[in-house]
Amino acid sequence: MTATDGDLLRQVERARLGDPEASRSLVEALHPQVIRIVRSHLPVRAAEEDLAQEIFVKLFTRLDQYQARSSVPFEHWVSRLAVRTCLDALRAERRRPELRWSDLPEEQSAWLEFMLVDEAARPDTAPASARELLEKLLSQLPPDDRLVISLMDLEEQSVKEIAALTGWNIPLIKVRAFRARRKLRKLAETFKKENPHERL
Amino acid sequence: MNDFDTKWQACAARARQATHRDEQLPFGFATRVVAQATRPGAAPLEFAWDRLLARLLAGAVAVLLVCAAAELPHLRDAQPLKPGIENAVAQLVWSL
Repeated sequence: MTATDGDLLRQVERARLGDPEASRSLVEALHPQVIRIVRSHLPVRAAEEDLAQEIFVKLFTRLDQYQARSSVPFEHWVSRLAVRTCLDALRAERRRPELRWSDLPEEQSAWLEFMLVDEAARPDTAPASARELLEKLLSQLPPDDRLVISLMDLEEQSVKEIAALTGWNIPLIKVRAFRARRKLRKLAETFKKENPHERL
Repeated sequence: MNDFDTKWQACAARARQATHRDEQLPFGFATRVVAQATRPGAAPLEFAWDRLLARLLAGAVAVLLVCAAAELPHLRDAQPLKPGIENAVAQLVWSL
């Protein structure tokens, strides 16, 4: 255990005893980790700060449930809580945003063209446009599928790590990822058929 | 891996290069969170439900232990339990 981990656990102990200063330090220390998870799995109509706040409130109300001597490091326990809260928020999102080819900026439609057309060249765009396109496509998937692909492909988490974060078993994750990829492909193809230039 | 998957992975690799946006803590965020978390009755409904279930479970375990303790003296009896007691215990267990 590093010195930083030790400091964090001392703050956890003090926060459990109701020390507001320790609780604030804990929020400051964990905010970058939590906000990264929130941004990766944010429902379209949710505000990232509201979701981050919900995660921290849950964290403090459940702080007694964390066992410092267990094999799970505190940061990992927080990540799991954050991922589960984001998944609940995604599930609560009643309607997914409609996606149209005409709404895509040129750089994003070039990436989609690359994925669907054999002879299309790989676009040389800024990474942000590739990321935005993938997030738009992922937002069309059911929440569980979106989560698993996002963790695997955008965050490069292993199946074991995803199992630890979500509580799902390994075969379920593999099956879910396989089906999600198939859905993504169908989705992209349907989406391309709606392209006005494609119909001409 | 088919062509779409390969190209998806290429796009994902490019997407991963996107730099993270500013992760600075919004002004007053920590204070707001701590105030909300320590406010009386701030525990979310889900948490209250967890606590209620835990208490119900503890109650059920206590009743079962009492039942088991009531049965204990009769364990070595050759005679079966008196019907009245037997029925009462059985009903209690099944109603749980």
